[in-house]
Amino acid sequence: MTAGPSRGRRYVVVLLLLCGFSIILFRLVTLQVLQAAELTAKADRQHQKTVSFEGARGMVSDRHGKVLAMNVEVPSVFGVPTSLESPSRVARHLAPVLHIRSSELERKLRQDKSFVWLARKVEPEQGRRLEQLSLDGIGIVMEGRRFYPKGPLLAHVLGFSGMDGQGLEGLERRYDSELHGEKRVTVLQRDALGRTVFPKGVMEQAPSPGHALTLTVDEVIQYIAEKELEEAVIHSRAKSGMIIVMEPQSGAILAMAVSPRFDPNVVAALTPDRWRNRALTDTYEPGSTIKAMVAAAALEEKVMTPSSMVFGENGQMVIANTTIHDHDKFGWMTFSEAIQKSSNIGAAKIGIALGEQRLYRYLQAFGFGQRTEIDLPGEVRGLLKAPKDWGRRSLASISMGQEIGVTPLQMVSALATLANEGVMMKPYVVSEVRDQKGRVLKEVRPQVKRRVVSPDTARTMTTMLEGVVTNGTGAKAAIPGFRVAGKTGTAQKIDPRTGAYSSTQFVGSFVGYVPAESPRLAMIVVVDEPQGEAWGGTVAAPVFSHVGEQVLNYLGVAREDTVNIALAMRDH
Amino acid sequence: MKILTIVAGVLLVFVFVWERVDVVRLGYQIERLKTQKIVLERERDQLQVKFSALTAPERIAKVATEKLGLVPPQQGQVLMVRLPGEAPSLVPPRVELIRVAKHDSIGRGRE
Repeated sequence: MTAGPSRGRRYVVVLLLLCGFSIILFRLVTLQVLQAAELTAKADRQHQKTVSFEGARGMVSDRHGKVLAMNVEVPSVFGVPTSLESPSRVARHLAPVLHIRSSELERKLRQDKSFVWLARKVEPEQGRRLEQLSLDGIGIVMEGRRFYPKGPLLAHVLGFSGMDGQGLEGLERRYDSELHGEKRVTVLQRDALGRTVFPKGVMEQAPSPGHALTLTVDEVIQYIAEKELEEAVIHSRAKSGMIIVMEPQSGAILAMAVSPRFDPNVVAALTPDRWRNRALTDTYEPGSTIKAMVAAAALEEKVMTPSSMVFGENGQMVIANTTIHDHDKFGWMTFSEAIQKSSNIGAAKIGIALGEQRLYRYLQAFGFGQRTEIDLPGEVRGLLKAPKDWGRRSLASISMGQEIGVTPLQMVSALATLANEGVMMKPYVVSEVRDQKGRVLKEVRPQVKRRVVSPDTARTMTTMLEGVVTNGTGAKAAIPGFRVAGKTGTAQKIDPRTGAYSSTQFVGSFVGYVPAESPRLAMIVVVDEPQGEAWGGTVAAPVFSHVGEQVLNYLGVAREDTVNIALAMRDH
Repeated sequence: MKILTIVAGVLLVFVFVWERVDVVRLGYQIERLKTQKIVLERERDQLQVKFSALTAPERIAKVATEKLGLVPPQQGQVLMVRLPGEAPSLVPPRVELIRVAKHDSIGRGRE
């Protein structure tokens, strides 16, 4: 045997091995060095999963802790289409439980996806039934769903939140940063089958829930206000209505409602005009209610005294080529009577006596043409033009509540100023923000905005406004056993087709406070486009009376005509 | 001495093993209780929502008027009683002042 061929074979083997190793080495360098970054990212995508957890949204409750909005964990149902053998069979089983058409479910389940939502935030009972069915490729995860247990109560103030827990309207939007829970993003590992492996410790520290809000609103007062307003709107076949009940000394809102109402639990089918809080987003020409502020300005400026005489021009007066009418042919009357009878000519004369600058200054001081800065979204300024933009008729028009746009909230704040001895308070809805352990993080104290008129003027105005109810246009606002001060208003609306005042569309309103001698409530009732008798004294004043009486009873305010009687008592 | 050392060593190993096993057992127990806590909290929240819905003034008024045949108090039917806040004593019977609203015409009509 010679060594040649065997040596040659050895070289061949070594060469082959070297080639093999070189290829492996080359591949290794390519994978581990050249493509390292790209491949690592690819691998991470396969065995890591980013999940975001969010703490529950904070609770909202009324001033006595009654729950108005809260989160509950409810099941959401998803499907994994790629793992389904018979989507049509699964869809048939799911349809009666989820109340979704079988064809709709089947369409979703036939998609070429590894994950589809079938129904989010369903009822707990539906989740239990699905668990019993235990269908392959169908899963359940728990998600926080917002519940408004009182249905439509306070809906326009509360607003609502979206499917992913973000505040969309009302307080939910305004206080979103306080209400929403802590958001935490975590990277989870997945096993070879794609199942999630929760790293230890992730779920031990659940993200903390959002802060809770305590409102100034009282759910019973809110209910009374909503019920009476709704009845009045239906009874007068009006387009809509608004009511605000406020504590004059603090500015705290006790009730705020818009009719027609809506249920924040089911907003999907509604349009924004149903959930807009018109009490602060819509302006109207106030009509005669503004006369209370014009009169207060005239008293404060000593342009008039309650006994000053004003001539009613027998119901007609021409100003700047336009005739102003009164609803009656008034002759000579006192300043008080002019307000009680709601004389337009009387108000125009008071305005003229004040002059443009002073009237404008006082209307500004009463808060018209600027936001009240209430803690609710969407508030508008209203319309109060500067005197340089006034026409020849403006002074008279504004004095009787035309050429000026106000929100119901501005009007009730302005009148509450007279109820609070001339001091204007800032209206507010949230009184406290608390964390999950109940610790107070923020406490809202009543905030003085400014003094508008002197206590003397405010008291004189109270006497005059009591006359509106006892001898004037606001008789139906009377509450037996209590002294009511207030002012009616009936304003013609501008017809958008003609641009002129409509003879059929009105806004009837009443704004007042009770008990006049030491007010507990300031309230405004606005009825938009009532049919038939549309006077503020006819459609809005009775609502004031009904709400006022029930609320004063509820608050335990003693009637003025209560008597002391002696009674033998046996103690227990 | 040697035997004692061995026995002590074995005991130590047993203690260590027992401790590890117990830690795992307690771990499972904690996990079970945590799940139970989550389920109970969820149930509590659901009950709270239910309670709030059932105690809504609107529903109470509906049940009171439609089921129980009650009517809202009319004028003069609500009497305010003012009692001093002091703690009641046993004897003797005393004369107290009670503030009562004058009786008005009952049943003021709505327009």
